[in-house]
Amino acid sequence: MIAVENVSHRFETSGRQSHLALDDITLEITDGAFVSILGPSGCGKSTLLYIIGGFVKPTGGVARVQGRAITGPGPDRGPVFQEFALFPWKTVLGNVMYGPRQQRIPRAEAEVQVRRLIDMVGLKGYENFYPKELSGGMKQRVAIARTLAYNPSVLLMDEPFGALDAHTRTRLQNDLLNIWERDRKTVLFVTHAVDEAVFLSDKVIVMTRSPGRIKTIIDIDLPRPRKRAELLLDARYQNYVVAIERLIDDTGIDEAAR
Amino acid sequence: MARRHFPDMLLGLAPILMLIALWQVIVWSGTAPVALLPSPFSVFARFSAQLLRPEFHHEIAATLMRLFAGFAIAVVLGVSIGLAAAVKPVVDAVVKPLVRILAPVPKVALYPALLLTLGFDHASKISLVAADALFPILLATYYGASMVEQKLIWSAMAAGTPRAQIIWKIVLPASLPSILTGCRIGLVISSIVVFLAEMITSTDGLGHMLVQAARTFQTVDMFVPLITISLLGLILNAALHLLRRYLLKGFAEI
Repeated sequence: MIAVENVSHRFETSGRQSHLALDDITLEITDGAFVSILGPSGCGKSTLLYIIGGFVKPTGGVARVQGRAITGPGPDRGPVFQEFALFPWKTVLGNVMYGPRQQRIPRAEAEVQVRRLIDMVGLKGYENFYPKELSGGMKQRVAIARTLAYNPSVLLMDEPFGALDAHTRTRLQNDLLNIWERDRKTVLFVTHAVDEAVFLSDKVIVMTRSPGRIKTIIDIDLPRPRKRAELLLDARYQNYVVAIERLIDDTGIDEAAR
Repeated sequence: MARRHFPDMLLGLAPILMLIALWQVIVWSGTAPVALLPSPFSVFARFSAQLLRPEFHHEIAATLMRLFAGFAIAVVLGVSIGLAAAVKPVVDAVVKPLVRILAPVPKVALYPALLLTLGFDHASKISLVAADALFPILLATYYGASMVEQKLIWSAMAAGTPRAQIIWKIVLPASLPSILTGCRIGLVISSIVVFLAEMITSTDGLGHMLVQAARTFQTVDMFVPLITISLLGLILNAALHLLRRYLLKGFAEI
């Protein structure tokens, strides 16, 4: 379980002003849940993810994983970034091998697993390509495989499909759900796309803009495994999307009125 | 690719040939007496003849040895200091003012002091080459390493890389394009400086050869080491280019 207890984060801007990015966030995420954090840009949703990842220390409160306070990054929490962040000097195989080799798994053994993973994300035949030779969607598939390769129990996904075109984005959402259905890792998924959040998640956390606070947490009670074509026609899905869009609109108006 | 490279190379050869042609035209026009400015043909003829003589090989070997030794020291020091300063604020605080003071100093001004402390042999020349080539490599490494994408480092740390190893496993390879650009500049400077040092005080090497010939008004012999060093520079640069292409296979632009 991930527990976030009264977490606040304040940072100094370049103008020596202090900006409150996150204000008193408390939430719990049960193991195996797919949870999206949804909010307008600048609401601190990525910062919250980085705090759970251990990349950023909160200025107030504490975040815990399985009861232990988070003090830094660890292979139990694997990040996937919007910018892919692949190692440009390594091939696809080299990138995905990185984690297992850091975990001191013998090369031959790691390679068997890694090749299977590359196949699973649909990149069989691209093992010896460099990231620069791949499209955006393929790069993100490599990044997902690289993170899955060290078998984290939590996936921290920071707008992973935000830089992709609509078609690629849809395909990756479907593939991500298929991968997730196999072993149901805990997923924390930051996004600003409402339909994406509803389609993927068990729970959607809606945040307000600066300072970032939790506005509402909505349980998405839709059957799994989910099929996009069925879901788009499902009135319950449509109602979730419309309701959440209204909430976000409210947040936007709050911002404009200030 | 090969088909495109070939005309490019011819195109690159054209200005060099034009320069030699211009040289020949000046000789023909008689603006400079042949005793002072020999024709390129006689210089290249002497150069080819010299290439067969072991004494000439010795001069080239002496120059190359100093060049490589000085350049190698500059690479090792420049890359390690640059990386350390980019990653550790404490090192940065110490190194930054030193670089600001020392980088603009004309290193050749230190040469008399180096000669007095290290003697007339290799050490003083190697030190001068290293001192001059150091700063471009150090600065290029520093800026390359400072601009490594934070999320590459986070990705590695999440995968289990300890903080102490990030510098070797991530920062160094990620800043390689920048480091190699610094090395390229450092190599050109090394070729210039080794020649200069040998011209000032030496008993062998290409620079010494030039000074000897100039003192005895053997103008054809004076131009031979000049051509040799520029050819060596061309070859070394091509070698570094190949190394760069090999090391930077995965990077966007080379």
